[in-house]
Amino acid sequence: MDRTRVTRNRPLVPKVAPKVAARLVFAALIFSPLASAQTAPPQSATSKQTNTAPAPAPAVDVDGWGPSTNAPVKSQKSAPAPRHDISGTWAPANGALDGGGFAGAKNMPEDGKPEHRLPFTALGLETYNRTKPTIGPRMVLTAETNDPEAACDPQGMPREDLFQLRETQIVQTPESVVILYQYDRIWRVIWADGRKLPQDPEPRWFGYSVGKWVDDYTFVAETSGTDERTWLDLVGRPQSADLRVEERFHRVDRDNLELTVTIDDPKMYTKTWVALDKFPMKLLPASFDVREMICSPSEAAAYNKLIADPASEKGPQ
Amino acid sequence: MRNPFLASKLVLALLISAALASGQTAPSQWGQGTSSPVHNEHASAPAPKHDISGTWDPGDNGIGQLGARAMPEDGNPQHQPPYTPEGREALNQAKPSNGLRSVLPADTNDPVVTCDPQGVPREDLYEMRTTQILQTPEKILLLYTFGKIWRVIWTDGRELPKDPEPRWYGYSVGKWADDYTLVVQTTGLDERTWIDRAGRPHSDALRVEERFHRVDRDHLELSVTIDDPKMYTKPWLALDKLRFDLQPANFDIREMICSPSEFAEYNKLVGTPASEKK
Repeated sequence: MDRTRVTRNRPLVPKVAPKVAARLVFAALIFSPLASAQTAPPQSATSKQTNTAPAPAPAVDVDGWGPSTNAPVKSQKSAPAPRHDISGTWAPANGALDGGGFAGAKNMPEDGKPEHRLPFTALGLETYNRTKPTIGPRMVLTAETNDPEAACDPQGMPREDLFQLRETQIVQTPESVVILYQYDRIWRVIWADGRKLPQDPEPRWFGYSVGKWVDDYTFVAETSGTDERTWLDLVGRPQSADLRVEERFHRVDRDNLELTVTIDDPKMYTKTWVALDKFPMKLLPASFDVREMICSPSEAAAYNKLIADPASEKGPQ
Repeated sequence: MRNPFLASKLVLALLISAALASGQTAPSQWGQGTSSPVHNEHASAPAPKHDISGTWDPGDNGIGQLGARAMPEDGNPQHQPPYTPEGREALNQAKPSNGLRSVLPADTNDPVVTCDPQGVPREDLYEMRTTQILQTPEKILLLYTFGKIWRVIWTDGRELPKDPEPRWYGYSVGKWADDYTLVVQTTGLDERTWIDRAGRPHSDALRVEERFHRVDRDHLELSVTIDDPKMYTKPWLALDKLRFDLQPANFDIREMICSPSEFAEYNKLVGTPASEKK
């Protein structure tokens, strides 16, 4: 049985309120880390995977639209990667939760381990102590968070890579590499036409990005000019206007891509650190329709009122 | 010393909120020789076949402050969409912050004011600015300036879904009607959105047709038709050949994203000064 289908099946909710149901499902997807487990590609109980045949594979067209799409089977042998080409629709290879970043940057989670403690500067630590995330050891009640994303401000860079990284389309043109994220349906451009990063630019949520091929299968993007208001990740790691993000996209073979993200912000951190380390993504069929997932302030408000903060409703008035 | 933070916030808030600011779209600040959009009046080379890809700019004609450009809410009886009684009632519930029926910013129920997604067709009809179009063998991707939102139009022959879960941007399929004209149908739209800035309503029965016609290499025209039998007695034209100019491929589209925290600040500082008088 397909859980995703069931939870989104309209007849299961009161007929008078399909909109409310849809809102709550989406709000739950976006605002509740636990609920996001349900967006992992549904595994068909009847599908059988073998080591020899590339198909059949579990259906992953979670929106139920389009030609039947098949995920690559893990044991399937891939073909070599094409050169200078990272285009395609990519999904976290180990399921949607793997890109969730619910404990912060996946490679540096906030889990109390000394080796995951970031090399904060004094300012970095002070800024960090002012962030009030909704999850992790420092979590506060939803009503008390100052996570900008909780109000549906843009995630910006690098958080778009570090929180809720899901199905991601990459399209290449002769001048650029365009990334289309599932979360918030945001697109961003990495210029690959040889231009330089701008000097002292107006800050942008998603900054300014340039990239180049360092070998036939590895595209390295540098981003600067990001907005200080964004957090690096869900647990509130800070960033300054001096932040520089390096993204390293390495196509291992036709079906596999690895993303490594390195943070360089001398105001906040005494040295660079790796936020994503060869995060594995797998190629989806070109016909895969990426589910819509957009943060909506009115949905967030409805969700918080009904579910996230029930204590705020002090019984019947 | 400048305050880039506040400046940036206010510039974007102004761009988004103020009708008057729309003529002043700041040039893209980054790139090579692409400091402002190119507007070509002349005829250009022939259009390539089955190809609408490129970065396209409609100038100031895509702002839609009075509602759908081909049907503005300007008091002209000819610009009255053909409402059904239900449509009329829904219209009366919409309280836009602009146009003939405008209310104070604090009293509007325009979903976009609180940064909810515009959805389709409003993304075409309000704040339609520089738009990048990418084509792959299976699909066409539209990358809008406003909201930095992308949307997909499938051209692989699939049919529109039956009774789908509503989406802000619906479900879109497109077909080439001739060598230079792509016709797109969109359904499955979320009833919470407005069709345009003036608060024209739609129901879940809405069907939107977009007709992208590449006139020649440098020019594209977009027509948008609204078909919603619950709200309107007949289909009506919301955009009539809105003209776009092709931009250089290295044109960097300005970032313009609705931010709830910026809006709160803007409204506090500028948008509702009267409310502070109490």
